[in-house]
Amino acid sequence: MISPLLKEFGFAATAITLGMPFASFVVITLFTRAHPRLSAGLSISAVSISMLSALSLLFRLWPLEKPLEYSTLWYGGHDFSLFFGFLLDPSSLLMFSLVAVICLLVQVYSLGYMEGDPGFSRYYAFQSLFAWAMLSLAVSTSLLQLYIFWEVVGLCSYLLIGFWYERFSATQAGKKAFVMTRLGDASFFVGVLLLLVHLGDLSIMELNDASTAARLSPGFLTLCVLLVFGGIIGKSAQFPLMTWLPDAMEGPTPVSALLHSATMVAAGVFLFVRLFPFFSRSETAMTVCLTVGTISMLMASTMAMVDRDIKKVWAYSTISQLGYMVMGLAAGSSFAGYFHLTTHALFKALLFLCSGVWIHYFETNDMYEIARKNGRSLKTPLVCTVLAAASLSGLPPLAGFFSKETILASLLDRPDPIWFAAALLGVFMTAYYAFRPVFIILFPRNLDPQDEEHRGGAPYLAMALPLLVLAGLTLGIGWFERSLESFLGMAPPGEHAWLTPVSVSVAFLGVFLTWFEFGRRTAPQMGFVERIRPLKTFFLRRWFLDDLYAFLLKQVVYRLLARSFTQNDQRVIDGGIEGIARLAVGSGRICSYIQSGLLRLNLMVMLLVVVLMGLYFFLL
Amino acid sequence: MIVPFSHVFILAAAVFFIGLACVLARRNLIMILIGIEIMMNAAAIAFVGGALHWGRLDGQAFVLFILGVAATEVAVGLALVVAAHRVTGSVDPDRYNLLRR
Repeated sequence: MISPLLKEFGFAATAITLGMPFASFVVITLFTRAHPRLSAGLSISAVSISMLSALSLLFRLWPLEKPLEYSTLWYGGHDFSLFFGFLLDPSSLLMFSLVAVICLLVQVYSLGYMEGDPGFSRYYAFQSLFAWAMLSLAVSTSLLQLYIFWEVVGLCSYLLIGFWYERFSATQAGKKAFVMTRLGDASFFVGVLLLLVHLGDLSIMELNDASTAARLSPGFLTLCVLLVFGGIIGKSAQFPLMTWLPDAMEGPTPVSALLHSATMVAAGVFLFVRLFPFFSRSETAMTVCLTVGTISMLMASTMAMVDRDIKKVWAYSTISQLGYMVMGLAAGSSFAGYFHLTTHALFKALLFLCSGVWIHYFETNDMYEIARKNGRSLKTPLVCTVLAAASLSGLPPLAGFFSKETILASLLDRPDPIWFAAALLGVFMTAYYAFRPVFIILFPRNLDPQDEEHRGGAPYLAMALPLLVLAGLTLGIGWFERSLESFLGMAPPGEHAWLTPVSVSVAFLGVFLTWFEFGRRTAPQMGFVERIRPLKTFFLRRWFLDDLYAFLLKQVVYRLLARSFTQNDQRVIDGGIEGIARLAVGSGRICSYIQSGLLRLNLMVMLLVVVLMGLYFFLL
Repeated sequence: MIVPFSHVFILAAAVFFIGLACVLARRNLIMILIGIEIMMNAAAIAFVGGALHWGRLDGQAFVLFILGVAATEVAVGLALVVAAHRVTGSVDPDRYNLLRR
């Protein structure tokens, strides 16, 4: 039983965690926009308090047996009721702390990365807004509340991608991200409304209850799950709504690290985790999810194998790792997906922040350029990138190894081996594309070192410290697999003795191939895919997905929909109103025949009528 | 009361019909207005006669109101006549058939 004191503590800590970033957002926007340093200090201190209180919440409530729920009726009728509040259960607490920690690290890092930017205060205002929205999303008690914050983080994503709004490509990328995720969100919202109409309650605990799903017919349940999954597809950049994520790299690198790899895009997977018991009641929908996850994972991996832009490589890798998470979840192990989400958030944020250091110092995104300008001379990001790339490839003993292992095990639990085979192929490709930038930067050809006078000092320190913290977490978190498992109370996937050697050797094979092509002394530094020109173009153009969208937009939306709507507007609506007007004019014309225009005649008729009425009333 | 009550009413009726004839027969707006005035005066005569007959002051008070209304009506009416004359250049009500055309 939870003591009332603990319950009060939980509420206060949650409120502080959420309130601080929001207060800082309001204060920065209203008062301190003209003082960049003050704004940054406000934002960072607010998010530090958030982090401390989130972590204290996690540790105070650690062996949590029963979820803590604080909710209040926001709106209710006789057939439905909407609750808002906090739901503190193991999965939300873990996400809560994870988000708070990464937000703080990224904000500290931004001190160096965004130094001297004219929009410094604005940047920190948006960062605070994002921290508030993402933390609130993690502890939302009902699906509607979650949806609201889901949209707020989408807004933050739009604002931060288009942060450098003077650049046309940045505003375009922001718009693209906004519209594409909105497409998924529309489907999510329809799903939410359907559930609300049929169940009358949207609280997450209620939805996950076995009796709730039993009230829905299997077909309808599948429909609802798939509609909600549409939102996950949009937010987590899964197939077919995946191409907004690489374009989102137009934003500042810390934003990419925070929003577009570690936390915001993981919100989709987090939603899956939240509703896992509900989702898993529909076998068909789970198979669809598994397929979507697998396709996204493989497609994004191939794209990552050829791109020269280091940030885009990590963006593709994010899509593919999110695909892994969806696969693990859809294969029936919520622990596998969630554990990979946690570790991925750490090592992918690390990768982005490392590449951010290079981008900041060499002012280029091209990995060959970075190598040529002697990128390896920056030791901290180099070491951290190697660590994080090894973790991404699933090499022991790093975090990614443990989490990828659980996903592979959960896929092996399924009867059909095709998913496992696809995942193994993915492991190989992941190792290949993760080490490609590493070897290119580590073994540069035709070196052209830059003058090094502006290196070091305070901004570098601000950027290097978060890297070290994240690297430490990446090294350490994997060993906490068992305790996380017991805390989350989710069943682990089955044990498979031969799995570890197989997957590790596949990963090493990928690394070896990369070394062979990029690392060794006489290596051509050209991948086997890049040698086949059509294939390279195919992968570089993202499987022509964008062209497909353009085609659909032109043919379906503009040609078919827009034209028929124009016709409807002109023919039906305008035509109808004009018809009514014509009717009024015509009837007026007919009526005007009665009107003689002779005043005296009118008077005489009037008199006659009055006389006749008088006769009628007085004489009859 | 020297004059019989019925005579007063006959006078009122006669004045009323004279006014009515004026309204209906004349082709000049001003004359029509005058006809309306005459008809109102007929009503006033009837009121005064009634007041005398029943010995109550209400009828006489009403006549004062009728005089006021008649004055305003003439003021507004004449203004309208001027406006109509400006638009059509005539005071013949039979020419006021713009809607008809």
